[in-house]
Order: sequence, then structure tokens, then C-alpha cells
Amino acid sequence: MTLTAGIDVGAGAVKVAIVETGYCGERLRGVCFERIRRRTVESVVDQAFETVLNEVGVRRDQLDYIATTGEGDTIPWRTGHFYGMTTHARGALFLEPKARGAVDVGALHARAMRFDERGRVLEYRMTSQCASGSGQFVENIARYLGVALDEVGTLSRKAEKPEKVSGICAVLAETDVINMVSRGISTPNILRGIHDSIAMRLASLARGIKVSGTVLVTGGLSLDAGLVAALADRLRDGAAVVDVRTHELSVHAGAIGAALFGAFRHEKLAAKQPSQNSTTFSEPANAGGG
Amino acid sequence: MSAPVQEKIPGRLGEMVAKMEALYADLDLAAVRDWKSRGQNRRAVGFLPVYVPREVIHAAGALPVGIMGGADRIEIVRGDSYFQSYICHLPRSVIELAVVGKLDALDGFVFPSICDVIRNLSGMFKLLLKDKFVHYLDLPQNFDRRLGGRFYIQDMQHLAQGIGRLTGVEVTDSALRASIKAFNHNRAAVRRLVAARSDRPWEVPTLEYFLLLRAGYLIPVEEHTALLDEYLELVGRSGRHMMDNVRVVVRGAFCEQPPLGLLRTLERAGCYVVDDDFVLGAHFIERDLDERGDPWEALAEGFMEYSVPSASKYDEHRTKGSELVRRVRDVRGEGVIFMAPSFCDPALLDQPMLAAALEKEHIAHTALKYSEDTGQFQVIREQAGTFADGLKLWSNA
Repeated sequence: MTLTAGIDVGAGAVKVAIVETGYCGERLRGVCFERIRRRTVESVVDQAFETVLNEVGVRRDQLDYIATTGEGDTIPWRTGHFYGMTTHARGALFLEPKARGAVDVGALHARAMRFDERGRVLEYRMTSQCASGSGQFVENIARYLGVALDEVGTLSRKAEKPEKVSGICAVLAETDVINMVSRGISTPNILRGIHDSIAMRLASLARGIKVSGTVLVTGGLSLDAGLVAALADRLRDGAAVVDVRTHELSVHAGAIGAALFGAFRHEKLAAKQPSQNSTTFSEPANAGGG
Repeated sequence: MSAPVQEKIPGRLGEMVAKMEALYADLDLAAVRDWKSRGQNRRAVGFLPVYVPREVIHAAGALPVGIMGGADRIEIVRGDSYFQSYICHLPRSVIELAVVGKLDALDGFVFPSICDVIRNLSGMFKLLLKDKFVHYLDLPQNFDRRLGGRFYIQDMQHLAQGIGRLTGVEVTDSALRASIKAFNHNRAAVRRLVAARSDRPWEVPTLEYFLLLRAGYLIPVEEHTALLDEYLELVGRSGRHMMDNVRVVVRGAFCEQPPLGLLRTLERAGCYVVDDDFVLGAHFIERDLDERGDPWEALAEGFMEYSVPSASKYDEHRTKGSELVRRVRDVRGEGVIFMAPSFCDPALLDQPMLAAALEKEHIAHTALKYSEDTGQFQVIREQAGTFADGLKLWSNA
């Protein structure tokens, strides 16, 4: 049995997952989600990591591999680091085994990727500098409208006549929203307009790499039912049949993927060095978080 | 993503790294001024990448000082007006440093032949700094001892005479032998550093390795050798822990140097750089030179016989590719990153030949470009990260 942890440090939150792999397959032992807010990333990572270790009843020294992803490359006590694209693909495959594509929408970036049955990324596209296709943008709009984040999706799905919003620039879109509020447009119609604008950008990324079949939405916005519905509508228009899905643990896809690839890597290294029971990575002298 | 922040290193090792960082950031050459102020009529002579026989400058009583450009710490205002837009960044920042007076501590300049840009730069220095000694060192591209070797010795002797006029010190054979000995000690220490970094890259981060080599271009060779020895002793006891990074060899960065943020980015993306051509002049000669015979012959032999393959050297027998493969095998490299400055003709022209040799041996490689003032590393992080992931997860090696 191999026990590993994945730590996904995003722009807005830290996600941690503990995974067990062995003869019976892969088992997710526990996850933790912690917003960074105005704290240091290190303190949030330590807190989230200790929380999930306590919840699943595992000690740090029982872990075979601590894998980081996202901005986690600053954690000095990691065993290894994997790029975000790699881990989201693997996490999406774990959560939805039929998936061969994923759209990861985080706080500041969005990306689409196509992968094979092992989770190996075959092709990907990501947004460039502008944040208009991102979670931060939705948070800003929700704040202007006085809507709690977890209500955004439900309200958006009640829209009857969505308003068109700029899909190019977050700043222009925010100006559009202010105008809409002053014109008396209803909150659901504004929100669905926002979701449509983001979905348009995401669909363009996904089509660019020719995704087809089942596609899982991952990252912070994966729990926004309004966005998932808007993306499903957008991708329904194309030539390829695309089944857009989400999962209640989609936000943890990066951390889960990191933990799974940590296990894969641990086993690969152990196979190279059969005389040793574990990988040869030394313990950090000053591992953070207790 | 901007340059990642460096973690604070505790103790004496932290003090040493801080000192090296201060030397690296010392565009005004305060360390050189300080050295000059400690004696009468002391002279310092700057040299450009890639390789200059520093022993000759040392034997003439001057301090050899590496001029490696302004990195990302100087705004180019006048430098751009001297060069067309489609050349590398290094000469622009070197001109800028010269015209704003940051190279005033130097009494002379040596420009080794490496490419047209550096040759033209030497001409500009002759025109701009008429009161300074400027020498274009025409390193031989013919590796026949009787032709290239003889030519090189004559060129070194011209250099010695020129610097001798500055310092008032004639370069005698015994003085040159003593300098060769001092640099042999330094080469041996650098070899120990290179070996330690290759064996235990988690103990010797690329950034510190790079700063150590750069420090050797600003302080006397004897001090630098002592610095290397102390560093190696300290890192052996540092308790730094090993991570699951891939072992990569970097080629292409032999002239214009990468910014520090790029070196940190590579390591954080999951790459241990176990062999490279950064600050190549510091490890250009692979073995000790003869300390007893004709010292000019010894220096010529060093360049002709024992120097590492480089894009700045003509490869008569087309062995650069096989030499790279051999080096990758020697250091147990898992892949190669071609990391060349934008518009660096020598590096970029060599790349297809080197890549073909790697492909023949099924060694993975990727290529990226930088300039000394690159400030955003997101694309490089993405490229190095996906390369490292590919090697870790999907390579059969």
C-alpha cells in the first residue's frame, strides 16, 4: 500500500488530498479546502495539511510522497512537484473515469486539456493574461451584485433572458454589469450573461484542442452550476459530441492528481531500487506544519 | 509569475550566499575598487565571455574581472542606440555600463573572439574609451599546434605586453607559472563544486552554484578558491533534503547569462541542473595545466587540448554532439534543456546538431530562450514543468 498527499496551492485557496493506492486500486482517504484570504500561504498549507492528516488518522511520517502542484513549488518540505496541467488531468480521470478532457477554471487562470486513459496530457490550451475567464472575476461580480458565491449558480439557472456581456476583458465586463444594474436588469439575467461570456472563452479553449466525449470541469468554478450549464450549452453547438460534467470533489482535482502521481512516482522509483522499501528522499530537517 | 523569492538561509552559509549575492549585484564594481585601493598602482582588466586566459592578466599584476552584462538590474537607455534590434541583449547592457561610468574601475578590456557581436563591441570600446587598453583576443579556430597553437601564443604574448604596459610588470615565465598554479588550485576547487552539484544537487542549488562562479569573476583567484572550499565544507553539513526532481543538463547559456529568477524557476519546476555551461570561462579548461614547463605552451595546450566543447569553438571533427551525449551519461542526466539567449547565433546554430545527437540516443530535450533581463517566468515555468513531468512520469529511463 502506498500513502501519498497532494497539495494544490492556488491563487485563492489551498487544497489537500490524501490518497491510498494498492492492489485494490486507488482510494481517496480525505480532502481539505482552505481559502488563503489574508494569511500567508505557508500558514494555510500547514493548517490544511494538519487538518486532513488528523481527519484521516495518518501521521506525516507514514506518507510515502508529498506532491505539490500549482504554486506549491514554494513548499520546502515537498517530495516533488508536478505542473498543474498534469495533476488536473489525472485528478479529472480519477473523479470521472470516462473523461478524456478537462476544463480547469481557477481563481486567475483557465485551461482546457485532452488526455489519454492514463491521465497523460496530450494537448492543452490556457488563457493568457486576462482574468475574464476566471473565478476571481465571478467573485468580483458577485460582490457588486451583493450575491453570496454559493448562490451564483442557482440564480444564474433561473435566468430567462440573459444579457450579453463582454467576453474579452474583465474590466469592460464589469463596466457592462454596472450599466445593467442601473438599467434594472435582473440579477439572474446578469449572472447568466457573465457565465455565457466565460463559457464562450472556455469553449474556445476546449474546441482548440478538439475535446470530445466526457469532459470534467475542475478547479474553483467547477461547483458553479450556472457556469457548468453555460459551458455545456456552448459545447453542444460544436461538431463533436461533448458531455460536460462536474463532480462534488472537482475543486480538489489538482490535489488528488498530485497525490496519485506522487504514488505512481513512488512506485516507479521503488521499482528502480528494489532493495529499498521506500524512495530515497531524505526527510527535511525543518519540515513545516508540525 | 515574477521571480520567485529566495528562502532565507541560516548561519554562515547564509552569510556566504548573501555576500555572493552582493557581489553579483555590484554593478559599480565596488569590490574591484576596494581591491585596487589596497595597493599602489593596482590595475584591473575586464574580460568578456566566454574564455580568456586569466593567468596572463594575473601574471601581469592586474585583477581579471569578468564583464557579464547588466542582467535585469540596469535600464538600457543608450545601449540600444549602438546595436540593431535583432541581436542579443548582452552587448547593449555592456555598452550601457560603459557609457554611464560603471566600468570606470577597469583599466583595460579583453574581448575574446566568440561572435560578430562581441567583435563589434570591442571596436566600439576602442572608439568610446580611447584612454583605456582594449584588446581583441583572437582565439584560434585551427587546432593544429604548429598553426593555431603558435598563433595563440603570439596573441597571448601581445596581450601580456599590453597589460604589462598598464601595470609596469613584465610577464616572466616564472610569474606566469605561479599564476597557472593559482588557477590550477581554483580549477580543482571548481571541479569539486561541479562534482558535488552533480552528485548531490539538492545540497548545491543551481542559484548558489551560479553565484559562486560569478563571484570568481570579481575577487582575486586565491580568495575565490578559499570561498569555494569553505562553501563545499558547509553545504556538506547543511542537511538540505533531496527532492524528487529530474536531473537535467543545460546547454546554450555560455555567454549572456540567465537571470537569477530563471535559475530558481527551473529548480522549482522540478529540475536539478546537474551539468551546464553557465559562466563557462570558469570551468572551460577541464584539467590542471603544466606548472613546470613552458607556461605559454601550457596555456595554449589548455585551450587547444583540454577545453570543453563550446559553440564558440570550431568543431573540426564534429564531436560536439557525441561529447554532449557522453556528458549526459556521465552525470546521469535524464534530459537536456537547450537554454539559449534570444538571437545568440553560436548557441542556436549548434542546437540542431546537438539535438540530433540526443535524439539518436533517445535522450529527451526541450528548448527555451531567455534574455539577461527576462523578468516573467510563467512560460519557462510551464515548459520546464511539463518537461520534468514528462520525464518523471512517462520516461522509461
